Amino acid sequence: MTIAAPKDNSVAAPLDAAPLGLKVGIPKEVFAGEQRVAATPDTAKKLQKLGFEVLVETQAGAGASFTDSAYEAAGCTVVADAISLWEAADVVLKVRSPQHHPTLDRHEATLLKPEQTLVSFIWPAQNPELLEQLAHQGGTVLAMDSVPRISRAQKLDALSSMANIGGYRAVIEAASHFGRCFTGQITAAGKMPPAKVMVIGVGVAGLAAIGAAKSLGAIVKAFDTRLVVKEQVQSLGAEFLELHFEEDGSGEGGYAKVMSPAFIAAEMALFAQQAKDVDIIITTALIPGKPAPLLITQEMVESMKPGSVVVDLAAEQGGNCEVTEPGQVISHNGVTIIGLTDLPSRMASQASQLYGNNLVHLLSDLGGAENFTVNMEDQVIRATTVIHNGQVTWPPPKVEAPAPSVSPTSPTSPTAEEIPAAKPWFSQLLWPVLIGLACVAIGLWAPASFMTHLTVFVLASFLGWKVIWDVSPSLHTPLMSVTNAISGIIIIGGMLQISNNIASPMTILGAIALFLGTVNIAGGFMVSQRMLNMFHK
Amino acid sequence: MENNLVTTAYIVASALFILSLAGLSQPETAKRGNLLGILGMAIAFGATALICQGYPVQIGSIGLGVLVGVLAAARVAMTDMPEMVALLNSFVGLAAVLVGFAEYLQPSAALTGTDITVHRVEIYIGVFIGIVTFTGSMIAVAKLRGWVPSRAVLLPARHVFTLGMLGAIAVLVAPFLTATGSPGMWILAAMTAIAGIFGIVIVMAIGGADMAVVISLLNSYSGLASAAAGFMLNNDLLIITGALVGSSGAILSYIMCKGMNRSFVNVLLGGFGETASSGKAAALEGSATSTTTGEVVELLANAQSVVIVPGYGMAVAQAQHPVAEITRLLRAQGKQVRFGIHPVAGRMPGHMNVLLAEANVPYDIVLEMDEINDDLSHTDVVLVVGANDTVNPSAKNDPTSPIAGMPVMEVWEADTVVVLKRGMSSGYAGVENPLFFNDNTLMLFGDAKTNVNGILAQLSASTAPTPALAAA
Repeated sequence: MTIAAPKDNSVAAPLDAAPLGLKVGIPKEVFAGEQRVAATPDTAKKLQKLGFEVLVETQAGAGASFTDSAYEAAGCTVVADAISLWEAADVVLKVRSPQHHPTLDRHEATLLKPEQTLVSFIWPAQNPELLEQLAHQGGTVLAMDSVPRISRAQKLDALSSMANIGGYRAVIEAASHFGRCFTGQITAAGKMPPAKVMVIGVGVAGLAAIGAAKSLGAIVKAFDTRLVVKEQVQSLGAEFLELHFEEDGSGEGGYAKVMSPAFIAAEMALFAQQAKDVDIIITTALIPGKPAPLLITQEMVESMKPGSVVVDLAAEQGGNCEVTEPGQVISHNGVTIIGLTDLPSRMASQASQLYGNNLVHLLSDLGGAENFTVNMEDQVIRATTVIHNGQVTWPPPKVEAPAPSVSPTSPTSPTAEEIPAAKPWFSQLLWPVLIGLACVAIGLWAPASFMTHLTVFVLASFLGWKVIWDVSPSLHTPLMSVTNAISGIIIIGGMLQISNNIASPMTILGAIALFLGTVNIAGGFMVSQRMLNMFHK
Repeated sequence: MENNLVTTAYIVASALFILSLAGLSQPETAKRGNLLGILGMAIAFGATALICQGYPVQIGSIGLGVLVGVLAAARVAMTDMPEMVALLNSFVGLAAVLVGFAEYLQPSAALTGTDITVHRVEIYIGVFIGIVTFTGSMIAVAKLRGWVPSRAVLLPARHVFTLGMLGAIAVLVAPFLTATGSPGMWILAAMTAIAGIFGIVIVMAIGGADMAVVISLLNSYSGLASAAAGFMLNNDLLIITGALVGSSGAILSYIMCKGMNRSFVNVLLGGFGETASSGKAAALEGSATSTTTGEVVELLANAQSVVIVPGYGMAVAQAQHPVAEITRLLRAQGKQVRFGIHPVAGRMPGHMNVLLAEANVPYDIVLEMDEINDDLSHTDVVLVVGANDTVNPSAKNDPTSPIAGMPVMEVWEADTVVVLKRGMSSGYAGVENPLFFNDNTLMLFGDAKTNVNGILAQLSASTAPTPALAAA
């Protein structure tokens, strides 16, 4: 398990120490067609709970159906234009990486000030010039796409939360372009076969797609090079396609790695065979830092039934399908190929809410408004920060990021198992021998009357042992009070010892025993009944 | 003729007692089981009444006993059931001692030869078990009530001391076998005194967290005391009943020990908290995420499945009633709410189930640890109310932990865990709990009852409009 490092680490640079009442700015996204926003009225409230003042550019949430008045009602200040917002804010939260601003006619990166912090998607590997430009401005930039994939950082993982939505939306897009129902049904007008969906790449998006397709009623098959996901696929009720090939594709950080040529050949054969059968193919295969692998060839697309749909979630990185055109929905030989790259943006309300929550968690990890520091000692913050006070800090130094390990071998388990085996033979024989000796002794010396009592005692003990194991654990307390009551049967002893001679010591002892036993009987049975009366469905 | 009638009645009573315990296997049949036990007792009592004498004394003792028993049973709070059971155990023990002494004064049958020796040994053993049960139970009651410190109180060189006492008791049996009249009486009294101290010393040495085992064990002893009385009185009904009760207590002790991953010997040699606090559990540092009742209400509102894991802390804070009310509200919203009970939650076996039943929680949503552990990974929110060691992941993950191997509720598998707790202190076992530092764990600090009431108030405020609309 991971334990968070203490947050009040004083190693942070002095520049990071900011005064109280920090302002968070939410500009309107400028990328064409982008509907999402970096804070919803709901997450803005959470930001205020962390001590931030929240500024929102007017119409920032319009695409995601959040009105200016909703932000105002949530306690935000609505700012008329982007320039004054960037001017006033200490921390700027964005969705898309800085772009050319169409109305201002200048690049958003030029709005960044020294001592200002920008949090956004950056894609530093794909956008080296942007990184350079931002560093030149002298601020601090945190890239939501660089959050490390470790369990402690899951709540910050915007890639996962966006992929989740993308996977869901991919199924919805496929359904709207598919001419048949997903669910099978037999009606008076005839039979409707269920749609067959194949999902390639079972990451967050793939799992979301499997879940959505399954709940629409489709038959879902899934493929992934990482065998660890098999169980997850099956738990969603889908079939996991296997190659029976001795190679596991788990790479570092839970992502996939590049496979051997033999593996890829076998994989392609499987896809070719499946393409003829399935109605919908959803591909989500990505390898970090590499173009998306080509999985669905033009030939495969042409072998698909007319009316089939391919959704390529890797379109932005070049596509898993040979005929994909990024950003477009095209028809090839009667097969619809969906290469949309803005799927999360098409569910802007939900996507903004999740992304906003990711940002709230990040700002909370940065210490909230009061202790706001970019702590470069913290593994998560270090990896996320791509520019620190004008210095490019990307890529972060490599730290061991364990992939979900398949077979952790505990060094202590073998020794633990050896201990019982090492028990000396005589200790195992001790009890049988003692019991045997006791039996012999009793058999030689005990009188006959004792033997009958012993028989009764031993048999009753075994009977009790069998009966009591059946008692439901929830009734163990009543069981104890009932046994209290029935062990009050000892009154019989007291009753028989009482004689007509009131002053005799036996009568006195017997009377006290009788009194105690009766308390047990009356109290035990009654309190049991009282408890049992409470048990109801 | 009359004697055979009584014996037959005793056979019927034995059968009814067995059926009574068998009836307790299910909540549906438990009440009938209890009534069968009452019937068996009435038959045994009626038959004995035919052959006994001194009716005024009989009626006086019984009347007083019934009065005290009924008053106690009607008034005892369910949180105090462990004390009640321990007290009733002690009564059986004391009764066995008294019956033993009376039997020594005037044997119920004329005996000769080895029968006398055997009878003496039976009396001696019966009185020994009885007095240990009595004094041990009294100390258990005092510990549960807080009259003596609940931590383990260890005498210096106590193992030598206890072994010495046991040795003295063993040696004294020899003169007792041949003694007659008052010398024999004195020997028996001396043994009783030593054994009484022995009972006190061993129970004093057992820590508060282990009281559940002690109560179960003393329950078993009280059965053995009855059985021993049966041997000395030549009464099979007492022997059968005693054996049943003895088995019952032994099984409960075994279950409790297993729930703590410890052996009988380990518990009896005492001092769990004491040995563990010096243990080498890795010191944990990290940040626990604290939360507010408002956030918990929001979590609950968005959850589909909720599991509540109560510990004795819930009973101490008297929070079971508001917890039950929260359960009712959430279930009315169509959410799945269940309880997960660890075998050693509470102060005696099954205690938590009774407390929840008293608070009107339906028993079919109260599940045992083994029944619910596999479901926890599909659970949205787990509320841990006043439990600590029973939800400690180190028991599973950290082989060096003092509680390694103890079965625990795997609450960390759930999406979110909310722990209601007074502060960051460790539990009875003195072991740090890494659960509190997990990312999916939220800590709700403060008095459990105040917090639970806060959650309840906000929940009922948010659900109130619905019934109002329905009424309009």
